[in-house]
Amino acid sequence: MHAYLLSLLLLIPLVGALLMLATPNVHRSLFRWIALGVSALQLIALVLILSHYNTSQAGLQLSELRPWITLDMGIWGILQSNYFLAVDGLSLPLVALSVIIITIAIISSWKIEKSPKGYFTLLLILNAAVIGTFCAQDFLLFYLFFEFMLLPMFFLIGIWGGARREYASIKFFLYTLLGSIFILIVMIALYLSTQSTGDAELVIHSFSFIDMQQSSHIISNAVLDPQNNVTILGISARVWAFMLLFIGFGIKLPMVPLHTWLPDAHVEAPTPISVLLAALLLKIGGYGLLRIAYPIFPDIALQLSWLVALFGVIAIIYGALAAMASKDLKRLIAYSSVSHMGFVLLGLASVTPEGVAGAAYQMISHGFISAMLFLLVGVLYDRTHDRMIQNYSGLSSKMPVYFSFTLLAFFASLGLPGLSGFMAELMVFLGAFKSGSTNYLLHESFAIIATLGLVLGAAYYLWTLQRMFFGQYHVKINLDNQLTDVDFREKLMLFPLAIFIIVLGIFPQLLLDYLNPFADAFTNTVIEGGKTIKVLLQK
Amino acid sequence: MQGLADKLEWIQLSIAYAWPEIWLCISVVLLLFASLIQSNQNKWIDALALMAFLISLLLSALQFAESNTSMALFNGMLRLSDFSIYIKVLIDLAAVLTVFMSYAQQEKKGEYYALIATATLGAHLLCMSNHFVMAFIALELISLPSYALAAFGFQKKSMEAALKYFLFGSVASAIMLYGMSLLYGITLTLDFTSATFQQAVLYNQSYFLIISVCMVLIGFLFKLSSAPAHPWAPDVYEAAPTPLVAFFSVVPKLAGLSILLRFMQVLSLNGAASIRWYIIIGLVAMLTLTVGNFAALLQKNPKRMMAYSSIAQTGFLLIGVITLSEQGLHFMLFYATVFLVGNYLVFWYISFFEDRSISAIEQYAGTGKNYPFASIMLLIGLISLTGLPPTAGFMGKLFIFSSLWSSYESSEGMMYLLVFIVGLLNTVVSLFFYLKIPYQAFLKSESQVLIIKKSPLINLLGFILVMVLLGLFFMPSGLMGWLNRITFAL
Repeated sequence: MHAYLLSLLLLIPLVGALLMLATPNVHRSLFRWIALGVSALQLIALVLILSHYNTSQAGLQLSELRPWITLDMGIWGILQSNYFLAVDGLSLPLVALSVIIITIAIISSWKIEKSPKGYFTLLLILNAAVIGTFCAQDFLLFYLFFEFMLLPMFFLIGIWGGARREYASIKFFLYTLLGSIFILIVMIALYLSTQSTGDAELVIHSFSFIDMQQSSHIISNAVLDPQNNVTILGISARVWAFMLLFIGFGIKLPMVPLHTWLPDAHVEAPTPISVLLAALLLKIGGYGLLRIAYPIFPDIALQLSWLVALFGVIAIIYGALAAMASKDLKRLIAYSSVSHMGFVLLGLASVTPEGVAGAAYQMISHGFISAMLFLLVGVLYDRTHDRMIQNYSGLSSKMPVYFSFTLLAFFASLGLPGLSGFMAELMVFLGAFKSGSTNYLLHESFAIIATLGLVLGAAYYLWTLQRMFFGQYHVKINLDNQLTDVDFREKLMLFPLAIFIIVLGIFPQLLLDYLNPFADAFTNTVIEGGKTIKVLLQK
Repeated sequence: MQGLADKLEWIQLSIAYAWPEIWLCISVVLLLFASLIQSNQNKWIDALALMAFLISLLLSALQFAESNTSMALFNGMLRLSDFSIYIKVLIDLAAVLTVFMSYAQQEKKGEYYALIATATLGAHLLCMSNHFVMAFIALELISLPSYALAAFGFQKKSMEAALKYFLFGSVASAIMLYGMSLLYGITLTLDFTSATFQQAVLYNQSYFLIISVCMVLIGFLFKLSSAPAHPWAPDVYEAAPTPLVAFFSVVPKLAGLSILLRFMQVLSLNGAASIRWYIIIGLVAMLTLTVGNFAALLQKNPKRMMAYSSIAQTGFLLIGVITLSEQGLHFMLFYATVFLVGNYLVFWYISFFEDRSISAIEQYAGTGKNYPFASIMLLIGLISLTGLPPTAGFMGKLFIFSSLWSSYESSEGMMYLLVFIVGLLNTVVSLFFYLKIPYQAFLKSESQVLIIKKSPLINLLGFILVMVLLGLFFMPSGLMGWLNRITFAL
């Protein structure tokens, strides 16, 4: 039974989407109930998956491997791609995060008026695609899910978004497609350079991440063979491949010079879609680097760690400064996401168990925090249809419950000890500092400059709190003056998120049980992989 | 020297292998007779045409099922190989789909179908041609009916387009003919697959050869509507009836592609040639991709946009000619199949919406709400042409770019890498215009009252084509298994 659990998790939303398409458009409220039912089933499946997962064991579990495409390519051998799903200590928490966040997003979409049928169908397709991306262990399958997210997201922003939704959705699509083309280039180069068995007579080109990670499975004389040392425009092909992956996933993350789609997409997207975008889709960038770029190109990753860390630090500082300058509350939170994703890059670049676990912890923690932040903006926006910080003041007296939720979310995001954001950033810093003295990848100055980001984070959040919540109650004249506090439905969404944030802040071990084995294995793979290739090159 | 009796016997034996072509000849005559006795609203002519093309499809498919050798027919004028038979199957399939689309054609049906059948026959002959004279005749057999068909809108605009097409076509043919005569001067033979020809090419690797070959290429590229011989396409596509546009964008292209491939294969002399022909084709492909995609961005008319799209798609098809390997050929045929299905799907629904007086991209606003099914099918077609999963278009792109990468890997020619990168980046550009219609359909609300007309039959065929596109994504091995049979030998 448990061998099919991951497929089940994928199938439930797809079946739900089909069911929805088959349902006549008479009862408009029916669709949200179907979506919620799907989420409930997925939560049950998730509990089953968690109960079957063994945290004391590193590596892939609950694997499901089925042949998908086997293609004879004549003299080039055989192309083989498998339907290969599995989870490890990194995937499983992200899958769990996805299921929880999607449930909350569905509750948050309860009042969607404009064609609910299309909306929830797209949401369910997106749901399957996100989970599939985190579970796929075969590059082609991964790519399928990765690209499959684009269209539903395009329409979700473009149809249900705000005033400039069309511009934002096209920009989102083009940026992400450009990134995925870069990834596609590397995918083609990689699978044609990888064989699944050592059999010399018949080359089986494999898409499996496991094969790609092993230097012994690289076909000799392929372009990506380190010993072959092919250079393109004077730069090694492996460096090119790593850089393309870095840029491709960097667009998704988003990394600073490539981040400009994010604020637009966030500002224009409806609240539930912002939540999904920030909490899940951004994580795919970090996940891709952890799952693909680093383990497959360990030699280059170690060589270019300073670059990854540099972009991380730039994102941390730039994101924080841009957030400080934002007048729109949603834009502020979008930029704070950019800043927080910088920590993922920094932790990853350190290639220490602490740093890597911290990066993964940050992804999960930011998933909950950003979801909560965007929901809170949505609560305000639903009431007044205005998100300008300057138009509000003294809200704490009028909306006390709202204020306390906001306080918690802001403090979690700025890294108050006892909340989840703190644990994540602490570990990233530990890793980044340790790297300077153990594996000599990063200079300590990276970590020191990154701490500035924390100060800036505190500054823009506290300043926002002061502007919006303290002082005399006042909203801009033509806005609704009768602001009501959060209602039951909104509490239902915010409360679980608050609990997760607090629990992950106080009992980090709950999550670290999953992340630590992964982080240890990851660090080993990358460092050892880098060494192996170095040895090969010296021969 | 062969005796006359031998030649006659060869012709006699060849007839058994030319049934699809003979049947097409008969069909032309039948359809012309039908046109004599037609009156308006004659559905039986449609049925007759459909039957004619179905039979020729069946005959070609039977040939593909039984033959697995390559043989010369009619005194070496034609050569029947698995490759050309497969192209013939695709051409007949396109013709059948064109008949399905032509249900709205009212006037002069008999002539209309007779001309299509003639062009189809020309395409059949072109993809088997082995000989310059045969190639020229076959090319003109496609071109002349096409000029007439382009004018079938019977409006000033379509007359203008037809004239433009005719002038371009005649100049291209003239240049090609001149190139052929120069090649005859070099090689002293018109049979370009013969050993004499290859020998002569081997000893004459000179600029003179390059110039003569480029002249011949102009004629082939004209049929492919590939840059720099493309400017006729947008005008003709815009003015001609939609079913014919779909026909023009596939049939001459496939026929031109197969003769081009054969010709390049000969010239490469199995790699012994010192002239690197793939660089010329690579430049043409990159130019075609870039011109097609960027020009498509500016278009406001869906058919004109699709004209540039089909120019851009030619660039992807040319990759098979660049790699010139057996596997590259199989992948090119896979791509061609997927392109055919996707392209027909898109034109199918463009004609569907045209029927509801939606003829500019802007007028598609709100169709997503009023025609959800049709709009989604159209979206899938466009996505497949862009090359995004989960459609077969993605598999096609993955395959042809894989073959390009393999060529790069084995030879490290920068040209391969350049085409690889330009091609993939062009995919991003192409998304921009392929999304234009869905963008209007789903993101904008209607500005005019849309006429709601139900047509389940059209949607059924659209659905079948979509299923093919999805099926070929999830299970490409079936079709590839068939294609893998095709050998690369001359």
